[in-house]
Formats: sequence, C-alpha cells, structure tokens
Amino acid sequence: MFDQDRLERSKRISWLDMDGIAGTKCLVVGAGALGNEVVKNLVLSGFKNIELVDMDHVVRSNLNRCVFFREGDAEQKLMKSKIVTTRAAELDPTSTVVPSIARIETYDVERFQSFDIVLGCLDNIAARLHVNSHSFLARRPYIDGGTNGFMGKVQVVIPPDTPCLQCTMNRTHYRVIEKRFSCTGANVSYFEPRMPAEITTTSVIAAIQVREALKLASDKADKCIRNVMFYDGLNGTSDQFEADIDPDCPMHERYP
Amino acid sequence: MGVRVIIKNAETGANVAMDLEPTNSVQEIIDSIAMYWEKDAGAYVIRKGKKLLKGEQMIGDLGFAENDEIELIPDPEGGI
Repeated sequence: MFDQDRLERSKRISWLDMDGIAGTKCLVVGAGALGNEVVKNLVLSGFKNIELVDMDHVVRSNLNRCVFFREGDAEQKLMKSKIVTTRAAELDPTSTVVPSIARIETYDVERFQSFDIVLGCLDNIAARLHVNSHSFLARRPYIDGGTNGFMGKVQVVIPPDTPCLQCTMNRTHYRVIEKRFSCTGANVSYFEPRMPAEITTTSVIAAIQVREALKLASDKADKCIRNVMFYDGLNGTSDQFEADIDPDCPMHERYP
Repeated sequence: MGVRVIIKNAETGANVAMDLEPTNSVQEIIDSIAMYWEKDAGAYVIRKGKKLLKGEQMIGDLGFAENDEIELIPDPEGGI
C-alpha cells in the first residue's frame, strides 16, 4: 500500500505541502540545460502545472547536459520546449506540462500574473532583466539560476521585499549586455558567446532552484535563500550572501 | 586616509593587495582587478564577508580595516 503512492516518500517530509505544490502553477523560462533539469525535478517533486517557454531547437552540443534530448532530436532540429514537455509528462502522466515556442519578451505582465512562481533557466542578462522586471511587476517570486563551468548561482527574488536581480548588478553586467547587442549604425549584431557547461553543476543549481520552489509552494518563504547563493563546484563550496535593495533600482524605486 | 585591502580571486584562489582611497568605488575595484587578472569580459561581483557590495558604494563608507579581505566572484550567466 505504501508503495502504490508515487509521492508517498515526499509526504513523509512533514513541512512539504503536497497539495500546495500540486496546485502551484510554474513558469519555466528556458529549455536548455537548466530548463531540462528544473522541469524534471518539478515533475518528480509533485508540481502538476508547468509551462515551459523557449524559442530554440535542439543541437548536438546540448546532449552532454540535457536529460530529455536525444541524438535524433538534434538531427531533426526539434523544438526544445516541445521535447522537454512531452518527455517530462511521461514521468508523471497526471502532470500538465505545456510547451510555449516563443521569446519570453512576448510575455507581458498579465501573462506573468497567471503563474505562481517563475523559474529562470536563461543564458543571458538581457532576458534575465525582462523576467526580473515582469515578475516584479506581477508580484511573482522569481528563482533565477545561472552556471558557468563549475560555478553557479541561485537568486530568489520575492518582490518587493527582497533585492531583485537589478539591485545586485553593476557596470560589468551592463557591459555584457552592450557587448551582446552592438549597433554599428545600419546593423545591429548579436554576439552569442559559447559558455562552458557540464551536467554536474547544472544538476546542482537546478536542484536548488526547485528546492526553493518547494519552499515557496509550502509556505516556507522564510526558509528561502537570502539573497544570493554562489556555488563553486571545483572547490566544493557554496555560500549565501546578503544583498541590499538598491535605492536607485528602477523596479524598487518605481514600484515599491 | 587610504587603506590596503586583499582581493581574492574566487576562481583561482589568487590574492593581490590593493591600496584604496576613500573616494574609490567598488566598481573601480572590480574594473581594475578584472583587468589586472585579465578576466574575460563577463559580469563580476565583490563580496566583503557575507555581504555583496554595490558598484556605486565608496570605500570610505564601507568601514574597511587594514588588510581586510574581499573577493571577486564571477556572476554566472549561462544555463542553456
């Protein structure tokens, strides 16, 4: 009898609110390495209502770190969000995992308000700023993950009470955005660097993102990361660092 | 009055001492040290103890003591 319930072992963790988790609607932004792991972990953790937005197709270099992608997906250039949602739903047929083939920039604040938690699995600062501002305006918690080789980061933003991504940025972040979009007059070129990435760091960061989502869905926001967690896989360390709300932050200043 | 701080490179563990004036900003430290260590053109943050410092904060406002340690950390951008 104990072994007939797929979530029986989760239910043994007293603070996990399995009904709350099942009823929480998640938006996952990005269906790459982090997106694969985050969706897998969400479904296995009991989240039943997930939308995954991404506009890209599978390429062969994704295959070293994306659990749902196969060689044939890359050969056929299948859309990432479609593949992840189809295969993730096989993990739990009672879950609803919906793909959205779109740029996240097409999602307005109203669309963000239709979700309870936003999980960022992105690879660039400009898209992060969009998700950050729209989650903030929609007053939805935003759990952002980032990796670079064996380094990783998770930031939990609970607007307007905690610092947002923009509060923790400095000129180096904006220089990266400028480098990505360089306008030479007639043309706007887009520079997309290939960043080092591997599965172990991806798994760790995605797991932490989903663990934070579990806390939020279980009414344990007070146990969430305060405010930024950095992970160093090479040295096997992780640390949480406090950040302050930036009084000049456009989000906090205009929409307190 | 100036103060000497030790800056640690989170990626390599390397250290370097830097003499700072109260009017120096955290952003100036990030820019100088990233150039000194010939860092890639990426995003970086600096921490002092458990606190992330803001770019526009001034050294004179941060209560540095001689040989205090701060750390330059890359802010990971990837995920796809």
